[in-house]
Amino acid sequence: MMTSFGQIRKEAKAKGKKRIAIAPVTEHMDFSVLSAAMESGLVFPIVIGAKQVIAPWANREGTRAAHLEIIEEPDAARALGLAIDLVKKGGAEILIRGAMDPKLFLGAVLDKEKGLLKERVASLVSVFDPPGVERVTLVTDTYINSFPSIVEKVTITENVIRLARVLGFDSPKIAALSAIEQVNPAIPSTLDAAILSKMAERGQFGDVTLEGPLDIDCAVSRRAATRKGVHSAVTGQGDIYLVPNVEAGFLMAELSVFIGKTPMACALMGTSHPVVLNLPFVPAENRLTEIELAVLLCGRF
Amino acid sequence: MIRSFADMDRLASEKGPKRLVVLAPEDEEFMMAVKKSAEEGYTRPILIGDREKMERLADQVHYDISGTEKIYEKSRQAIADLGISMLFSGEVDIAGKGQIPTAYIYRAIIREESKVGKGMVVSVVSLWDIEGLDHLTCFTDTGVNITPDYRAKAEIVRNAVFLFHLLGYPKPKICVLSGKREIGGDIPSYQDFHELKKAAAAGDLDSCEVMEATSLLDIFSPEQKGFRLGDTDIGKTDFPHIMLVPNLATGNILVKLDFALKNVRRRSLVMSSRGPVIIPSRSDFQDSILGEIALGVTVAEQIKGGTAS
Repeated sequence: MMTSFGQIRKEAKAKGKKRIAIAPVTEHMDFSVLSAAMESGLVFPIVIGAKQVIAPWANREGTRAAHLEIIEEPDAARALGLAIDLVKKGGAEILIRGAMDPKLFLGAVLDKEKGLLKERVASLVSVFDPPGVERVTLVTDTYINSFPSIVEKVTITENVIRLARVLGFDSPKIAALSAIEQVNPAIPSTLDAAILSKMAERGQFGDVTLEGPLDIDCAVSRRAATRKGVHSAVTGQGDIYLVPNVEAGFLMAELSVFIGKTPMACALMGTSHPVVLNLPFVPAENRLTEIELAVLLCGRF
Repeated sequence: MIRSFADMDRLASEKGPKRLVVLAPEDEEFMMAVKKSAEEGYTRPILIGDREKMERLADQVHYDISGTEKIYEKSRQAIADLGISMLFSGEVDIAGKGQIPTAYIYRAIIREESKVGKGMVVSVVSLWDIEGLDHLTCFTDTGVNITPDYRAKAEIVRNAVFLFHLLGYPKPKICVLSGKREIGGDIPSYQDFHELKKAAAAGDLDSCEVMEATSLLDIFSPEQKGFRLGDTDIGKTDFPHIMLVPNLATGNILVKLDFALKNVRRRSLVMSSRGPVIIPSRSDFQDSILGEIALGVTVAEQIKGGTAS
């Protein structure tokens, strides 16, 4: 399993350069991540957008941009459409959000007919590299689905397990979080967690151990769990945390980043190809890790 | 102004002992915390619970309770009712939950509130002392209301504002947390943010300010990429005092992140109209329970003597 973002970087580099489509590129484009990805030898970029914006940056990059492919399309929506088509036809392996509002970008990317959605729903996995922990940990869904139904939670679970396997977790331990560790019909997320737990017990998610409902103290601390009388292989050993809704997921990710100063990078799952969303709540210094995660996901969907 | 848990511990030591009724101290960690609170001069405990269990545990932690007032009772609800009624009658300054389901305590508080005609919405305020931050912050409601509507949230805010006034913050800043992001539309918690902002501006939430922010990303300026709490003074001045959580599941998950984050400590209580009720989690250990007792002592003192200066 991946022990740190450092190991993710090493493994991604070993995969060889991938062709990435970045779109749309407009005057609001921040090229810093792309520059970093080129510098680290991870990618061949195909940049789609306004040429007058791309050219000055390419000039600054000098020889590193010698193999840069530029497709001129000043209209942002059309540029994104071209990028999606390119990925679908195999011309690029990864799609990266350029200068476009995430809502518009995701609207096109997750379009059932013209986009890249493959599973029932897409979901975002926040991958953390907590200091003092010997492996990365995964939290989902931290962005896409506001209040997922149990049907959607099943897909969200399958999505994160797929990423976990790519990251080397052969038999991941999963905590389905809720407010309490007991099943209480008045708190619907405890019922959902119990259903997921039972599905896992019956082998419906493959080789995983999924425990739920668990409250966060039981999930992250075996000592706390023992004190509450909860005994499970997952307590204190969780690789994956399933949150009950996006308010918990999004805010938990933010607290971990802004207060806990924990490195975090995200991966969009449920699509046919890797997509890097480049979202505002991801720390600037971890954005390259998102491209590295996408590199590791190439060919693994 | 009480800016940290260290301030709180100091005050508890100086202003104690307060009368603490302990509801079912039938667990070693809890009994040890009660013992320490008496030794530190925070409290003069009154123990209510199962005689055999209390005596055995006191013996186990070498706590001589021969001179301590004790009331023997086995029924969980009877213990909760008796302890909370003692708080409301003024017989004690603080009530503290031991090995008893929290719901029993809430039920007893609601009943007593109803009797005195206050009808306060019961909510839990969980304080965080964050390393590097120069004031206390809190999450609420982290324990009672599963999916509070706007009206309940307004009451939850009032309870937390009342607590912060007692702690010496004349106009606490409130962040109405929401999962509002670039996608997903205006979810209910975001609509509540707008309503609460209007209510605060109209003075309906007592003296406080609702910030123009519903997430930490809004607080930590997006212009300052890579900025973290403690890196600059911005976080110290603009960080909220009160973070209203959208629902119980979110609140419980966020507030107990102290189990994972190393730079945060937590203390929780229920603010009733007659005094503090401390409600340690069943997973808390003696040091954090002792900290919650110090919080209860501090609040009881502030209620008696006015706000902290």
